[in-house]
This record gives sequence, C-alpha cells and structure tokens, in this order.
Amino acid sequence: MIVQLLVAVISTLAFAVLFHVPRQEYLYCAVNGGLGWMVYKFSLGCGFGVPVSSLWATLTLTLVARVLSALRKMPSTVFLLAGIFTLVPGSGVYYTAYYLIMNELSKCTAKGIETFKIAGAIVLGIIFGLALPQSWFNRLGRLTDKKEASGKA
Amino acid sequence: MSEHKTRPQGHTSMRKVQRNNKVILNLAVSMGEELLKNGGEIYRVQETVGRVMEAYGVEDYHVFVVTNGIFATVHEQDEEAGSMVRDVPLGDINLEKIAGINQLSREICQGSLSLSQAYERLEQCRHAAPLRDAFLVLACGIESAGFCFLLGGTPFDSIFSFLLGLLLQAFLVAGTKRNVSKFLLNILGSALVTAGSLALYGMGLSVHSDRIIIGGIIVLMPGVALVTGIRDSFNGDYLSGGIRLMDAVLTGICIAVGVGASVKIFQLLGGGALPI
Repeated sequence: MIVQLLVAVISTLAFAVLFHVPRQEYLYCAVNGGLGWMVYKFSLGCGFGVPVSSLWATLTLTLVARVLSALRKMPSTVFLLAGIFTLVPGSGVYYTAYYLIMNELSKCTAKGIETFKIAGAIVLGIIFGLALPQSWFNRLGRLTDKKEASGKA
Repeated sequence: MSEHKTRPQGHTSMRKVQRNNKVILNLAVSMGEELLKNGGEIYRVQETVGRVMEAYGVEDYHVFVVTNGIFATVHEQDEEAGSMVRDVPLGDINLEKIAGINQLSREICQGSLSLSQAYERLEQCRHAAPLRDAFLVLACGIESAGFCFLLGGTPFDSIFSFLLGLLLQAFLVAGTKRNVSKFLLNILGSALVTAGSLALYGMGLSVHSDRIIIGGIIVLMPGVALVTGIRDSFNGDYLSGGIRLMDAVLTGICIAVGVGASVKIFQLLGGGALPI
C-alpha cells in the first residue's frame, strides 16, 4: 500500500513536470495526486465499483485543489490537472481498442461502456467539487493573508 | 458571455484617453491570449481581461472569448473606438505561464503596476525559460513506469515502460518541433508504444505487454481536455466546452486507432492472440 502511494505521488510529480507546473508547487500537486489514488484504492477496497471509486477520488482531488488554490494563491487548475491523471481510464481505451481489433465485440462494448462510465464519474466528481461556493474557499485565502501580514509586521 | 459597463466620459483630453484605451486593450487582450494559449479556462480569460481593463480605468468594454479566439472592444459608441480580435490556436499546457499571468493580473488589480511595467512583466512571462526537453523526456519515462506499476505491472514491466515512455516523449518533442499535426502524433505515438511492447513480448520476454502499453500511452490521454472542457461547460461556456470535449473524444479515438493498428499488424505477422 505504501509502495502504491509512493508510486502514485512520483507519477503525479512527473505529470506536474510535463505540464510545466511552477516549481514551488510540485510537492503540493504530487501530494494531491497521491491522496486521490489512496481514496480510489480505499473506495475499491470498500467494495465500490471502479466508476464510483473514481467519483470519490476526483471529488476529493477537486476539493483539495480548491483549498490549495486558496492557500497558495494559484489557479486551482494547477493542482487539479496533474492529480486527475492517475484516474483517467487509460486502460479502458486500450482494452476497448484491443477487443475491437480482436473482433470480440461483446467484450469491446462492455469495456467501451465501462470506460464511458468512468469518464462520466470523473466528470461528476469535478462538477460536484466545483459546485461548492467560492466564498467558502476565499475565507481560507484570507486566513493566509492575515498570516502573511502578521509575518511581515 | 459579455460584460458591459458605461461611465459618462469627460470631454477634456479625450484624445489622450482614447489612445491610452488602445494600449490598455492591447495589454488586457495579450494577457488573455497568453492564458488561452496555455490552456486556461474561458471564465479565467474573460475575468482577467475585464479586471485589467477596469484596473486601468476602462469601464466601457465588451469581451467575448471562445476556446480559439478572443474578441474585445472598448468605447464602441465613441468615434475612436478600439477593437481587437486574436486567433489563438489550441496549444500545449503550460501551467507556469497561467500562474504567472494570474499573479500579474492580481498585482495590476492592486494598482501597484504602471502600464509600461505591466507590459514588461507580460514579456517576461511570455519568454520564461522553458524546461529542457531532456527533463520532459525523463518525466515522461518516470510517469509511464509509475502508471504501469499502479495498473498492476511488475517492476520488471515498469523498466520497459520507462524506456518506451522516454522514446515516446522524444518522438513527441521532435514531432512538435516539425509541426506535425497533433492527431498524427497521437496515432503514431500510441502505435510506437504498442509496437515496442509487442516486440518485447514477441522476443519471448515474460512481460505483461498490456500494462506496459497502458503505462506508455497514458501521457497521450486527453485528461486535460476533458477536465477543461467540463469546467468550461459548467461555467456556461458550452461552445468552448464543446470544442474541448470534442478534442478529447477525437484524441481518444486516435489513440485507439494507433494501438489497434499495431496489434493488428502484430497478429498478421503471426503473433497470434495476446494474453490479457
């Protein structure tokens, strides 16, 4: 489990590099990605299916990204994009194409629909995460403002 | 989609105000263009352009932004109205530039920057030193290996996934420099990874070729287009969201085509069915 977490963190970090995330935010992106993967694995372990687990994971990722964005004064996209990649249904796309080529159409349809379900769950997770009003997060942002001000004084 | 505010204008020094308007419009739209080009969401571009204009005292403006263009006017009703249209092709994601422009716009709103200072900062942001290609290639290798492992591959599989990831990113960097179309790059890139993995399998190595392929192609996956498309649609910019989502679906199909073609050729060469 710890190895999985570490690998997820490192993979997200690599993605942060590929998307040119500002250097001082690498660590936060990576932690967010690791967190998303843990939620996903935990939810799978609790007996939820892959789509529902993806939903929980993206919901967590989006909320954490918004909190980080308020605290670090960065667009929330910075923390969201790299983290979401651990959940993107890459294997679904591969197996769908593979079964199509192998002419196993029933398996291909099943995989294709499952892939769409996962993509849809990710979509829903992001939408729910973004639906919370910005003012809640702005309050967090103001907290750091005060800290900075008192730090300078 | 458009914002509109008017304020009665004094007639003194009208000419100077008007000329300044165009400079401000140019600054605001250039910042918006930079955001859009590097993968910013529509509402962010629209808000930034509006805020910059207001910070410099232009209150009579309209901005319209779609995924690949910005249209803006100032003082439409006056004689010396200014307008600007920018065609912005979909580009690579560069979050550092988005964060930089965001910071610049925040400082402009606090009123601490003069126009010429703001232009200077914008230029700095535009020409920020990009990461070395070698660094990107290495990052791609690491994430390929990581995903291969996360999806159930063995460390042995990850080593090959790492090598294929390096190869893929080197191919992508070279292709982008030669302006090869993005769709062709996706098809060829996923075909390259699949071919590499199948070649290993064909050589008789005991590898999970499917896990290696998935790890390798994950960098091509349209995850960003998907996320940005959703965010745009959710903000009511359905047209822009639609463009991004269409981009995501087409990219997915291209990857499937590349993988499929490679698998088919492998079969025709006598490789038979693959173990899944």
